[in-house]
Amino acid sequence: MIAAQHIDFDAIVIGSGITGGWAAKELTEKGLRVLVLDRGKNIRHGTDYLGEHAPDWKAPFQDKPDRELFAREYPLQSKNYAFSEFNRQFWNNDRDNPYISNPEKPFEWFRADAVGGRSLLWGRQSYRWSEQDFKSNSDDGNGIPWPIGYTDLAPWYSHVEKFAGISGQAEGWPELPDSEFLPPMNSFALERTIKQRLAKKAPDLRMTIGRSAVLTRDHNGRSACHYCGPCHRGCSTGSYFSSQSATLPAARATGNLTLKSDAVVERLIYDEQSGKITAVQVIDANSGERHSYSARLFFLCASTVATTQLLLNSGSDKFPNGLANHSGALGQHLMDHLESTPVVGIFLDDMDRYYFGNRPNGSYIPRFRNLPGQDADSEFLRGYGFQANVLRANWKMAYNQKGFGADLKDALRKPGFWIWALTGFGECLPRPSNRIALDHSKLDRFGIPQVSIEFDWSDNEQAMWKDMNQQSARIMKAAGAVFYQGMGDTNTAIGGGAIHEMGTARMGNDPAQSVLNAHNQAHDVANLFVTDGSCMTSSSCVNPSLTYMALTARACDYASKQLAAGAI
Amino acid sequence: MNRRELLQCAAILVSGVSVSRLGFSLSDEQWTYLANAPDYIARTPAYLSPSQREIIAVIADIIIPETDTPGAIAAGVPRYIELMAADWLNDQERGIFDAGVAYMETAIPEEYGLPFVQLNPPQQLQILEAMEAQASDSSWYELGNVQRDFVSDAPFICQMKELTIWGFFTSEVGVTQVLQYDPMPMHFDGDTPLGPDDSSSPEFLI
Repeated sequence: MIAAQHIDFDAIVIGSGITGGWAAKELTEKGLRVLVLDRGKNIRHGTDYLGEHAPDWKAPFQDKPDRELFAREYPLQSKNYAFSEFNRQFWNNDRDNPYISNPEKPFEWFRADAVGGRSLLWGRQSYRWSEQDFKSNSDDGNGIPWPIGYTDLAPWYSHVEKFAGISGQAEGWPELPDSEFLPPMNSFALERTIKQRLAKKAPDLRMTIGRSAVLTRDHNGRSACHYCGPCHRGCSTGSYFSSQSATLPAARATGNLTLKSDAVVERLIYDEQSGKITAVQVIDANSGERHSYSARLFFLCASTVATTQLLLNSGSDKFPNGLANHSGALGQHLMDHLESTPVVGIFLDDMDRYYFGNRPNGSYIPRFRNLPGQDADSEFLRGYGFQANVLRANWKMAYNQKGFGADLKDALRKPGFWIWALTGFGECLPRPSNRIALDHSKLDRFGIPQVSIEFDWSDNEQAMWKDMNQQSARIMKAAGAVFYQGMGDTNTAIGGGAIHEMGTARMGNDPAQSVLNAHNQAHDVANLFVTDGSCMTSSSCVNPSLTYMALTARACDYASKQLAAGAI
Repeated sequence: MNRRELLQCAAILVSGVSVSRLGFSLSDEQWTYLANAPDYIARTPAYLSPSQREIIAVIADIIIPETDTPGAIAAGVPRYIELMAADWLNDQERGIFDAGVAYMETAIPEEYGLPFVQLNPPQQLQILEAMEAQASDSSWYELGNVQRDFVSDAPFICQMKELTIWGFFTSEVGVTQVLQYDPMPMHFDGDTPLGPDDSSSPEFLI
C-alpha cells in the first residue's frame, strides 16, 4: 500500500544536479515552496568531501586502482578519468543500478549517485552556444528547428554566469560568444609559444584560455581557487560551481527548500480530469517504502537518461507510450558529442620553464570548420572544437624505463618533456534510431523497468572524425610538436563517452514532433517542465552545461509567472 | 594521532586558513579522515618470510637507493611491495611474483654460492640487469604503458620496478622529500623558472 504523506509543495524538482540545483534556486527565490528529490545519497557540502586534499599515501594501494572492487561494482564508472577511490562515493554503483546497452550499438551511461549529481564531477568547461548553433537544424534540415534563438537565451546566460562565476577571456568571436567573465586563468609558457606559432602558421584558428566555472577571485561568498588540482573530489571552498557549493545553499537560504536524498522517483501521477501532474510517487532507496508528494508544478532535472526513463515509466491510458509523449519523440534523437581520442604532442620548447599550482582548466580552439561562408566542399555538416591541455611528463609517464639506481631515481624525479594534447568534441546529429526505451522484462531493485539504450554514429560523424584527424595533425605541426600521436582515421568513440548525452525529450514549436515547447514546458501537460539535457533539439559542439543552466533559469521564470497568472 | 600526522594536518590547515579570507577549514570528518586514516603501508604485511623480505628490500634499494635524498627503504617501499603482492596482484601476477621470489631465494645461491643479499652490490646489480635484459621483450617496456593498467604477464623484474617506483613516488617520503610538493598552492603560475636539478611536482588529473 502507498503510505501517502499529504504534504503540498508549490513545486517539485526531480534531480539535484546542475539543472535541479538551478531550478531549486530560481523557484525558491520566487517564493515557491520547493521539494527537491534526488535518488542519490546525501552528501554534505565540504563535510563529506572525504578525499579532498587526501594524499596518495593514505589511499588504498597508494592509489593504484582497486581492480577487483572496480570490476565488480563499478565496471563502467571506473573507466572515467575522474573516478578514483578519493571520490568513489559520488558515483553510481553499476552492479546495484544496471541498465541495458545494446552491444551492437553501445552507449555508456556515466552517472552520479549523490546529492549534487554530476555537478560534483563535471569538467566545468562553460561555453555559450552561438547564434549559428540554434539555426543549424533549420539550415541543413536535420532534426527539427529550435523554437528559440540565441537572443532568447542571451540574457539568461548572463543571469546564470553572474551567479555561477565563469573565468575566461572575452574575445568577441561570433562563433563563441563571450560570457560575463571573471578574470581568466594564467597561461603556461608553452601555451603562449604555441599560440604565437598558430597565429603565423594556421591563422584561421583561434585559441583562448578555457572558460571554466572555477573562480579566479572570491565570488558570491565562495573562495577563489586554491589550485590544489583534483576538483572532482569535491571542493569545500566552493571554488568550482556545483549545486552543492552554489545553487542549493542559495535555495536553502530562502527557507523555502525541502531536500530529500535517497528518493527514487518511480513515476509521475497524471490526472486526466485536470490534464496535469498531481503528484510524484517516490521509493525510499534504503527502506523501500513508497511515498507520494503532491505539488502544482513539476520540474524534471534528473539528467537525460533518467528523465526519459521516468517519463516512459509514467504512462497512462491517455499516454500509453509515455507521459507527455503524444508526439512519439520521447526517447528518440539521443545525442552525445563525438569525443576524439586525445592527440598527444610532444614539445621541447620552454624546457627551462615550469609551473606552480595545478590549473584545473585547459585552453580551447573553437569551431573553425563549416562556419558561415566557408568550407562549402567539406564532407560533413556542422563542426567541432578542440580542448587542449598542457602536461609536463613526470615519473608516472616514464616508470617503465630501463635502468637502476641513482641515475634512474634522478631521471624519474625530474620533469620530462612538455605534452600538449588535443581532444576534439564534435556536434552529433539528432536521429530517431538513437534511442532510449524501457525493457519491461528487466526490472531494477526497485521494480522499475530498466532502460535499454541504442546508439551509433551517423555517416556525418564518421566523416567528421576523419576531418578532426587531418586537422589535428595540421594543428600539431603548426604548433611545433616534435612528435605527435594522432587519433587515427577510424572512429573509436562510444556514445555517452563525452558525458554530454542529450535530446530525448526535445523542444520544438510543433507538438507533433517535439515533447517540449519554447519554454521547456511539455506540449501535452501544462505543469510539467523538463530542463536537463533531454530538452535539447540539437547538440552544438560546445560543452552543454552552461546552456542547460540558462534554459532552466529561463523556464523557471516562465513557469512561475504562468503559475501566478493561474495559467498552470 | 601521532606527531607526524598532527603536523601534516596542521600544515594543511594553516596554509588554508592563513590565505583564504572566506574561511577555509577542514571539516571534522575530513580531519578525522586525514588524521586517522592510516597510511597504506601502516599495516603489517605477512606474506613473505623474513629472508624473502630481505631480498625484496635489497632489490627495492637497488632500484631507488638513498642518495642526497631518501630512497625506497626510508619510504617503506618493501612493505608496500609485500602488501601489494598479498592484496592487489591477481593470481597470474602473484604466480609470477612468487616464482621470482623463489628464483632469487634458491637459484641465485646455487649459481653464486651465496644468498642474494650477501653478494656484493655490483654482483647484485649485475643479476638485476641480466633479468631486465631478459625481460626486455615484455610489453611492460612499451611507451604507451603508463598509469592505470598493470601488465599482468610482466616478468618479476618489471613487477619489482613498477611497485618500487610507484610505491616510492606516492609515499609520503617520496612526495614530500623528493618531489616538489605543495598541497595548497593558492595560485597558478605557468611560467616559473626550472633549474637543471629541480624535481617535478606530483601530477594531478584535471
